[in-house]
Amino acid sequence: MPRRLLHVALVVLALAYPLLASDSAVYSRLGALVLLGAIGGSAWNIVGGYAGQVSVGHAVFFGVGAYSAVTAYVHLGLPPILGAPVGMALSVLIAAVIGVPTLRLSGHYFSMATIAVGELVRVLSSTSDFLGGAQGLGGPALPRSAFDLSFVSATPYYYIFLAVLAALLWLTHRIERGRMGFYLRAIKDSERAARSLGVSAGRYKLYAYMLSAAFTSLAGALYLCMYQFVDPESGFGILISVKMVVMAALGGAGQLFGPLVGALILVPLEELSNSYLGGKDTAVTLMMFGGKIVVGKGGAGITFVVYGAIIVVIARFLPSGLLSLIGRRPTGRRTVGGHAD
Amino acid sequence: MSMTLLQVVVSGLLLGAVYALFSSGLTLVWGMMNVVNFAHGDFVMLGMYAAVMVWTVLGGGPWASVPVAAMLIATLGVLAYFLLVRHIMKGPMLAQILGTFGLALLLRYAAFWLFGANFRTLPDTLVGHSFMLGGIRFEGARVLAGAVGLLVTWFLHLMLTRTAIGSRMLAVSEDATAAQLMGIRPERMQALAWALAGAAAGIAGALVATFFYTSPTVGETLAIVAFVTVSFGGFGSVPGALAAGLVIGVVESLSAFLIGPVYKDVIVYLMFVLVLWFRPQGLMGKA
Amino acid sequence: MLIEARGITKAFGAFKAVDDASVTVDEGDILGLIGPNGAGKSTFFNCLTGDMAPTAGTVHFSGADVTNEPPEVRARLGLARSFQVPLTFESMSVLENVTIGALLRHADAREARACARAVLDRVGLGRLADQPAKSLGTPGRKRLEIARALASEPRALLLDEAMAGLTPAEVREAIELVRRIHEGGVTIVIVEHIMEVIVSLTHRVVVFHQGREIARGTPREVTSHPEVIEAYLGRRKVRHG
Repeated sequence: MPRRLLHVALVVLALAYPLLASDSAVYSRLGALVLLGAIGGSAWNIVGGYAGQVSVGHAVFFGVGAYSAVTAYVHLGLPPILGAPVGMALSVLIAAVIGVPTLRLSGHYFSMATIAVGELVRVLSSTSDFLGGAQGLGGPALPRSAFDLSFVSATPYYYIFLAVLAALLWLTHRIERGRMGFYLRAIKDSERAARSLGVSAGRYKLYAYMLSAAFTSLAGALYLCMYQFVDPESGFGILISVKMVVMAALGGAGQLFGPLVGALILVPLEELSNSYLGGKDTAVTLMMFGGKIVVGKGGAGITFVVYGAIIVVIARFLPSGLLSLIGRRPTGRRTVGGHAD
Repeated sequence: MSMTLLQVVVSGLLLGAVYALFSSGLTLVWGMMNVVNFAHGDFVMLGMYAAVMVWTVLGGGPWASVPVAAMLIATLGVLAYFLLVRHIMKGPMLAQILGTFGLALLLRYAAFWLFGANFRTLPDTLVGHSFMLGGIRFEGARVLAGAVGLLVTWFLHLMLTRTAIGSRMLAVSEDATAAQLMGIRPERMQALAWALAGAAAGIAGALVATFFYTSPTVGETLAIVAFVTVSFGGFGSVPGALAAGLVIGVVESLSAFLIGPVYKDVIVYLMFVLVLWFRPQGLMGKA
Repeated sequence: MLIEARGITKAFGAFKAVDDASVTVDEGDILGLIGPNGAGKSTFFNCLTGDMAPTAGTVHFSGADVTNEPPEVRARLGLARSFQVPLTFESMSVLENVTIGALLRHADAREARACARAVLDRVGLGRLADQPAKSLGTPGRKRLEIARALASEPRALLLDEAMAGLTPAEVREAIELVRRIHEGGVTIVIVEHIMEVIVSLTHRVVVFHQGREIARGTPREVTSHPEVIEAYLGRRKVRHG
């Protein structure tokens, strides 16, 4: 019973947060950014956490989403969000193309392949005029209608992101409890054994990869709506890929709320570190999800030193993430009872 | 026209020898432990900064900076092994990948923070000037780097194949449990591998600092070059790394010359992807 | 004929691990594959299960040509296997492990779980259902391995040295289990070193040596065959159960 109460309280808090933070632009924005990070991390989690295929190249899909949104505006004059479905479809296709040859690589090789593809896409995008080259592209300077999703306050973003995250987590939950969820975990534990039991490992990994790509792409489109700008570094940069992975890993990869927990810690950490440790001569502030590498000395440098240190510490001491400390894994239940999970 | 082409090839070979050097360190570790060191490029980067520091602080040239860089990065390698790698190897795949990746970020941004984002270079006078030979222009710094790179790689190969300690390392690489039963301590050999890999990276960095722009981001591209070289030459094979390094150096040089500098990175990444897809074990490595 | 392997050859370069082996298994058989170490029986076994593709020869299962089909296709047709070193799903509970097997025939997770529970009871692991699988010792894991394969409702169950590492008492229990499974209508193929198992369990035996078949027949025929004895060179004694 008290657990139920806790859940309800958390949901209420999540819904009411913008009202509580309405006085502070910083905290409002932080809330929205946490949710955006959670979306990215949760999308990655499907293939990286549940299926165990550690992709460090998800920025490809993120960038495709962001660029699809911005090019819908720049080249077709449409509200950026209308580019999102196109971005998602494109990402799924790209995932299929990348996935078929790379998913049959094991462990480290797969990760390396995803890094290489990610970097390849980033470099190529900076040579494309259609995509604005190295300069990137910007969204509508002044919103023409509500559909442009260009808001001054962070609150509308918060609720949009919350809705998307809820949908993604619900979908993930359904998968988790169904056959696909079981099969993905089996593939992660022992692909060979899974195949001997009739699991088409190749196919399931690909499905997970494609689904993950679709939602990562959506995260990219939403990012574009909020930031109204994307360039090769902020769209396809390796830092984006890494952040998705770390957010999920910190909270608990393969756990439903792992990425959210990770985002709750890492996003504020990064934002606060940037604001308080940033030097005045910092040319460009580092935004969440990539942004530019800072030119000039200052706080942004330290932020990522800390980031790197956190990653190392997680890998070394807590590879199962923070949620494992609370023992939320469905296996090894202490209750000996008749009721199944 | 053909002279310029020859020039490009020679230039590529010289750089390729340096690529071979730091890649042989990576291949050694990889072959022994089946662990990818994503931070290897940043090891080289720190070697470069070590050289720059030696010059700015001590006023020493490459003769001083190379051994200093070698020792510093070798120590870094050993520390990384004992504090981090040894533990994550036994863990899940995610931990293994995040571990060295996090280390890479840590080192890279520590460099950003300590040294700033600006480029540093060592002055030309340090190594001696360029000279003409057979119509080709040779830069003193590059020739030195290439020669030393080749030499050290060759020494590494000799050490592995001709000395007792080398054969012990290869034994652990082949089968750690069997080696243990023969009285060899795998952990020691692995730590030694990390020390050697670090030294190789440090030396390569110090050499390259004499003619490359030194900046914190250098590690990222160098890491990819190392991965391509190791994938191509075979995981665990130092001669393979040598051959592959030279090939990559030439390919890169030709691509930059014929297509354009931006595309040289693209070519390298493409080669990497192709090698991974068609032959993950490389040309000379074990399957 | 449920399983028909004809002219199976598996070469690694110049070395032939299996050389022109032909074996048929009828429905309801219990077939044993024996031979000294390196005889090629495991390689042959892997060609049957799909973990390896033969260099030459064909494998038919229930009339269908599965020679080049991956393990998952064969599992779907009803050919299940256990692994010599149990490949337990370490992050899951005992029940969840078996559920993976059951999911092949029952797409609904709840239904599959219920079937899995029934299978666990049949093999005697019922009370351990919710324990983490990694807490099991080797005999438990081997039993789990069999339960998992059984949950996929196979027509043939291929066991790869399932009794290795078990105490004599555990071996006897395992023999009983396999016999019960067989009585339930499952054809069995078993690769084994332990003679007691071969003699007490199998109907027919095929003996491998250096990649080739050197004898076949009932366990008694085969164990008194001079060439078989020579192949083993007295390293194995027939244990009486």
